[in-house]
Amino acid sequence: MIRDYYNRNALDEKLRGAPRPPGANHLAIGHRQAVSMVLAVAGEEDSVEKLLSSATEFTGRFSAPGEWLVVSENDTPEGLQRRLDALCSDKAHIVDQSEARVLFRISGPSMRRILAKGIGLDLDPNVFATGASANALCGHIAVNLARTGEDAFELLTPRSFAESLFDNLMTMGREYDLTAAFAA
Amino acid sequence: MASLITCPHCGVRPKEEFAIRGDASLVRPAPTASDEAWHDYVYVRANPRGRTLEHWQHVGGCRRFLVVERDTFTHEVHSVTDGAAFARENGK
Ligand SMILES: [Zn+2]
Repeated sequence: MIRDYYNRNALDEKLRGAPRPPGANHLAIGHRQAVSMVLAVAGEEDSVEKLLSSATEFTGRFSAPGEWLVVSENDTPEGLQRRLDALCSDKAHIVDQSEARVLFRISGPSMRRILAKGIGLDLDPNVFATGASANALCGHIAVNLARTGEDAFELLTPRSFAESLFDNLMTMGREYDLTAAFAA
Repeated sequence: MASLITCPHCGVRPKEEFAIRGDASLVRPAPTASDEAWHDYVYVRANPRGRTLEHWQHVGGCRRFLVVERDTFTHEVHSVTDGAAFARENGK
């Protein structure tokens, strides 16, 4: 039987073996979240943004004008697709990205210093507040960065770049003793 | 400084996130224009010292084409506009 991509994490090879206990600065790899790309039809950008921000079951991440990545912790990819179809299929194109993106959840007191090594964004909470999100480069890898808390961030990256981004982040975090494991 | 570009969609970003796509002040000739006019449009570029209009694409961010007005001598950036908005304003 073919094991589909969704059941095989892109970082299986990197995180093989018994995990180290998580340190203060920790990178958790999301396992089963659903990710969708939402592209608003021309002229409907504002109403789609309103609909996405009113939802509580998922969070919309800003990519570009009229384009968001939607992340859901609880839905299956099919479930999220149905939810978004019901919400805004008349105003936007919705494309499942669950197997195409890998979610990196990174948190700890040294997070801003670690991320500053690779990302050219001002991460001061007054500039990039909790809930903010943006596309950016981490090293040379395109990521979508979101702030989920004072010292907690999430990065979404294309699956084929996940191993390189993982190596980058572990190198960036080495002096702060960054640990990594699959999310529980 | 031209090493920091303020994207109208993404905010202040390092120039490494952008690809420069060339002169934004050129006007495409009519399809029936002379070979000379087309040759100038496709191949001939000025190399000004001072203010220039350029297309910068924010490939590491929103991926939009932007029109950046900057000074090639002082590296000062005077304005950054979304490419579509710029085209609308200039009736292109
Ligand atoms: Zn941008």
